[in-house]
Amino acid sequence: MTFATLENPTVRRPANGGVPARRAVVRWAVRLARREWKQQLLIFALITAAVTATFIASAVATTTPAKPVGVLGTAQDAATLTGTGPQISAQVTALRSNYGQVDVIVNQSMSVPGSVTTFDLRAQDPHGPFGQPLLSLVSGKYPTTASQVAVTSGVASEFNLRVGGRWTLNGVTRTVTGIVQAPQSLLEKFALVIPGQVAHPDQATALFNASGADIVTIRTLIYTAAHKPVPPDDVRVTDVFDTASLANDNAINPQSISLAAAILGMLLIALVGVGGFSVLAQRRLRAIGMLAAQGATERHIRLVVRANGVVTGVAGAGAGFLLGFIGWLAYRPVAQSSAHHVIGTFQLPWTVIIASMALAVLATYFAASRPAKAISRVPVIAALAGRPTPPKKRGRLVIPIGIVFLVISFLLLGLAGTASGTPDSTGPNPLRELALGIILLAVAVIMLAPTTLGVVAWLGKYAPISARLALRDLSRYRQRSGPALAAIALATLIAVLTCVESAGRLSNPLDYGGPNLASNQLIVYSPDNPYIGSGGGSAPSTVTPAQAQAVAGSIARQLGATSAITLYTASVGLSHAAGGRSWSGPVYVATPQLLSAFGIRQSQIDAAADVLTMRPGLSTMSLMQLQNTIKNAGGGSSPCITGGCIANPPIQEVSQLPAGTSAPNTVVTEHGLQALRVQSSVTVGGWFIQAPSGLTAAQIRGAQQAAADAGLSVESRNSIPSLATIVNDATVFGIVLALAILGMSVGLVRSEAARDLRTLTATGGSGTTRRILVATTAGALGFAGALIGMAGGYLAAAGFARTNQLDGLSSLDSIPVANLLLILIGMPLIAAAVSWLLALREPPSISRQPLE
Amino acid sequence: MRNHPPLVELRAVSKTYGQGHAEVHALHDVSLVADTGEMVAVMGPSGSGKSTLLTIAGTLEDPTSGQVLIGGQSLASMPRSAKARLRRQTIGYVFQDFNLLPGLTAAENVSLPLELDGMSARKARVAALRALDGLGLENRAGHFPDQLSGGERQRVAIARATVGQRKLVLADEPSGALDSVNGEAVMRLLHSACKNNAMTAIVVTHDAQLASWADRIIFIRDGRITDQTIPAVGPESLLTVEPEK
Amino acid sequence: MSVRHAMLALLSEGSSYGLHLREEFEARTGDVWPLNVGQVYTTLQRLERDGLVASEGDEDGPGAQKMFRITQDGARELDTWLRTPPDLSSPPRDELVMKVLIALRVPGASVSEVIQAHRRYLVELMQQWTRIKEDADPADLSLGLAVDAELFRLDAVVRWLDAADARIKRVTADAAPADTPAAATTPAPPHTSVIESLPRMPLTTNRKVRTRR
Repeated sequence: MTFATLENPTVRRPANGGVPARRAVVRWAVRLARREWKQQLLIFALITAAVTATFIASAVATTTPAKPVGVLGTAQDAATLTGTGPQISAQVTALRSNYGQVDVIVNQSMSVPGSVTTFDLRAQDPHGPFGQPLLSLVSGKYPTTASQVAVTSGVASEFNLRVGGRWTLNGVTRTVTGIVQAPQSLLEKFALVIPGQVAHPDQATALFNASGADIVTIRTLIYTAAHKPVPPDDVRVTDVFDTASLANDNAINPQSISLAAAILGMLLIALVGVGGFSVLAQRRLRAIGMLAAQGATERHIRLVVRANGVVTGVAGAGAGFLLGFIGWLAYRPVAQSSAHHVIGTFQLPWTVIIASMALAVLATYFAASRPAKAISRVPVIAALAGRPTPPKKRGRLVIPIGIVFLVISFLLLGLAGTASGTPDSTGPNPLRELALGIILLAVAVIMLAPTTLGVVAWLGKYAPISARLALRDLSRYRQRSGPALAAIALATLIAVLTCVESAGRLSNPLDYGGPNLASNQLIVYSPDNPYIGSGGGSAPSTVTPAQAQAVAGSIARQLGATSAITLYTASVGLSHAAGGRSWSGPVYVATPQLLSAFGIRQSQIDAAADVLTMRPGLSTMSLMQLQNTIKNAGGGSSPCITGGCIANPPIQEVSQLPAGTSAPNTVVTEHGLQALRVQSSVTVGGWFIQAPSGLTAAQIRGAQQAAADAGLSVESRNSIPSLATIVNDATVFGIVLALAILGMSVGLVRSEAARDLRTLTATGGSGTTRRILVATTAGALGFAGALIGMAGGYLAAAGFARTNQLDGLSSLDSIPVANLLLILIGMPLIAAAVSWLLALREPPSISRQPLE
Repeated sequence: MRNHPPLVELRAVSKTYGQGHAEVHALHDVSLVADTGEMVAVMGPSGSGKSTLLTIAGTLEDPTSGQVLIGGQSLASMPRSAKARLRRQTIGYVFQDFNLLPGLTAAENVSLPLELDGMSARKARVAALRALDGLGLENRAGHFPDQLSGGERQRVAIARATVGQRKLVLADEPSGALDSVNGEAVMRLLHSACKNNAMTAIVVTHDAQLASWADRIIFIRDGRITDQTIPAVGPESLLTVEPEK
Repeated sequence: MSVRHAMLALLSEGSSYGLHLREEFEARTGDVWPLNVGQVYTTLQRLERDGLVASEGDEDGPGAQKMFRITQDGARELDTWLRTPPDLSSPPRDELVMKVLIALRVPGASVSEVIQAHRRYLVELMQQWTRIKEDADPADLSLGLAVDAELFRLDAVVRWLDAADARIKRVTADAAPADTPAAATTPAPPHTSVIESLPRMPLTTNRKVRTRR
């Protein structure tokens, strides 16, 4: 017998097997993932759905509004130049000498003879350095000589023009060479000529790259060149843009919103995934033990589970991308026609899409990481025997750290509250603190939620055996149930936060939110209405008040309304002399016609009332002031000047007044007008039209057209949701999300206890036992999650409102009780009931799978 | 007689599970030496600690006290990664009922330890095919474990345990799930691997017929080695007796 | 198997008169194995002659009055006999069963050691047969089958030993907590019941043995 040395000196191999070992391990993981794809279907489906949703939502959201390119073309900066012809050319020269290439688009407003409709005579080089994306050819060709013109289809139909025909405009006859469009704004009407052909420009857009130069510098340059006084810095003039200013305009742009939604979605998926991968790893415990017995290191074993996670993530991301793209292709024509600008097939928010795909892979990687770590620590012997690891005690630091996070998040939200309390938000950017605070809150909830499972188990000490077993299992197998609970808590937190915040914010009597009008209501504004609404945008009026009255009347008739209620404005205004929110909304005059139109009888009205309102809570508001706006031009919270202001005017709440923010929800009475001596300032502000039923888009367009023709503007219902809508939507969202998470998690949580269930069945447990087990698991998870989420939501809301000057803690007084109860009681009940009904049969996959 | 240390040596190994009232002494002061080329069977009733003995000898578990030496190296101070390496390079395992990783073909299962050890996939495959060939499984190389019969699966497991430069095969009831003919084939393979490849095998079993394939049988009871067989004088005596009967 | 060793086994429990020994023997064997007084005394005299038992009391009186006790040599002889493997290359393995059963009765005799001695012998035997099988030409079916038959026979005995070992272990483990530690080692009531079930089985064996001899 000879002894052979253990180490073979001729073969030098990398420690821990190096790349070949990792490759072998990953290959096995991939093979496993493929063979046992059914077990990963849940996570795969989640990822696919999330990526698809992000893809389509972000594509629609970012392409629907005209992109900055609609203004800038390919340039970095743009300036709107106004003034006379020489002034404009001086400005262009100045820009050119400072920033090099300048692409100029010159417009002259022209009117269609015999109509109030206008169009632009536009001089633009179709092949200009920056402006190309602003122009595209539908048919024919671009004009190349002074005697050629291309028109938009709108202009072509207005003037009955064809390609190849001749058209005389302002005494110049030109050949129509093509039909063009502004891809970023399909509604624009213009006639395109070569540069230099616009004789009397009244507006021009200059596109250039002033890399580095700030807006103020550019503005100074332009104004100096035109010999115009430079407006002071703090006056907001939107005549110079750059990509940054356009992006800054709304930090909460569709891209960042869809990205945030994707991050949140992936976080929830990762949480659900932790449970899923734990179960998966547990099922493969024996195979993994086998691998360890073959000499795989702990790192290799972690790699198996993680690779599996990444495979699922990549597959899900790929499938989601594909589905999203198909969906986008199907939806693109619809999006294009509703957005009124051309949307390219590949004109997609790639950063968001790629980020969401990367997030999907990251989410699954991290979801698999924890189970990977746990499984690699299982002793090889236990793994080989398929013995599940005994439930592990959580780290002692989890609770203190979670609480510290909670406190920090509370303070951060407080900071955010302070920052956004200053009326014009010039202070520190509250968004950062807000985001950080909410993230910390989420982390704290994730950390603390599983701890409450112990409480749940304790509460169930005296429950019947099957319920007790379910609760005990929830508590024991926290690795699985904890993430699910955290996910439910997070879903509830979002819903509760939305409910509480919007209830607090939107029900503020001074500045309340909601839809501007009911869907059957319409306001036709006369041009000088001071409260002109969002639907406005009027050309200089050429109509007399009588004509306007006639137009409003005809619009009302077209819409089937009996009459148009005339809205009178007066030089009065309401204000709130204390800190916090200030008054917003119109104050019209309570004419008898208006009151009777809303069914308010004269006898109903307190003779002493200065103001009538439908805003609940306004009548009891202290420090209200009714002001004569002529005398108190500044308005605001200055002490009342005798004669020009009434402190604490008698306000009567009349519920019949319409609720819309633009509607006459608050009116000043004859008594009030007399007290302020402003009866003479009463003028017609517009007409309120109430149709018998909701207005169609066509009816609104017709009304807009009719009003625009007369130089009036129209406001119809906007898309701002009402408080009830928001709160209900948030409630439904929270419940559905929580239920979805529950549905996915309960099976995972229960599968661990399948062995106990078998024993239970063997000792006489019936189908009812199984139902109770599953229903209790679902109900308890749902209830605990809802409770934690609600606590977190209220904590966040309180943290924010505590320091907020606009909405103090009192804003949380309006509790949406019904909705919160629905979340707290209804959701767990639904979960339990559905589980009860569906827990007929154990899924066959739960039984231990023999390994070959 | 020799200067070399024995391939496997257990010195006064004890193993205790649990604490206090739940304390279980799985092994008591067990000493064992197995030399190169020797096949040792460990026999004992269930719960006698024979499987624990195997897992301790195979670095899967650490003894509570005592020392384990593989090729003269003590496992006590060895880091986990070094133990894993030992399992990849020196020790092969054969278990009773499940041995192969689902999702890998027979050839891939055999090449797994080689690949884990850093051998390129192609080289490992060549070695695996050669090993399978030696066990008459050449036309089963591409089959997945669920496409193989029980005896074939166990033979693949032996191929995997003996592939490469392995010196020690540890088998825990390697033919427990097989009928006697297949079980015998497994033991025959293990014994010939010891004789022909100068390997050492420790086989744990409660089956005397299987144990009798070993060169030496160690009896274990309640965690203690109680007895061992004296190497047979040779079977000729029986054969001379046989015709008389 | 002999009356000789049965007498020694009975005496190992304590000194006894010859007559009493006969009664005891017959009671234990369920009166199916009658023993005449002369046979008992002849056996005892031979044992005394060989120095395995000693007698005291009336030298001249009838043997029935003599008190016999086991000597050191006698105890050793009994122990050796218990551990001596019966010739198992030929069938009468039941001798082994007897030995184990009797070992249960013998104070101080470790049954498990007795069992192990037999087990080791059997396994060594099996090892030799297995070597024959290993070295045999696979085509030689008759040899293979014959060796298999032998192996299975031996295996059955080993399994019986395993079972016996386990059963005894369980019974003593059950008895131990109730009784004193001493009671666990000396034959306890359960053991008596085991030995009381002895008659039929050993007797058939013994008849076989007798017919063969």
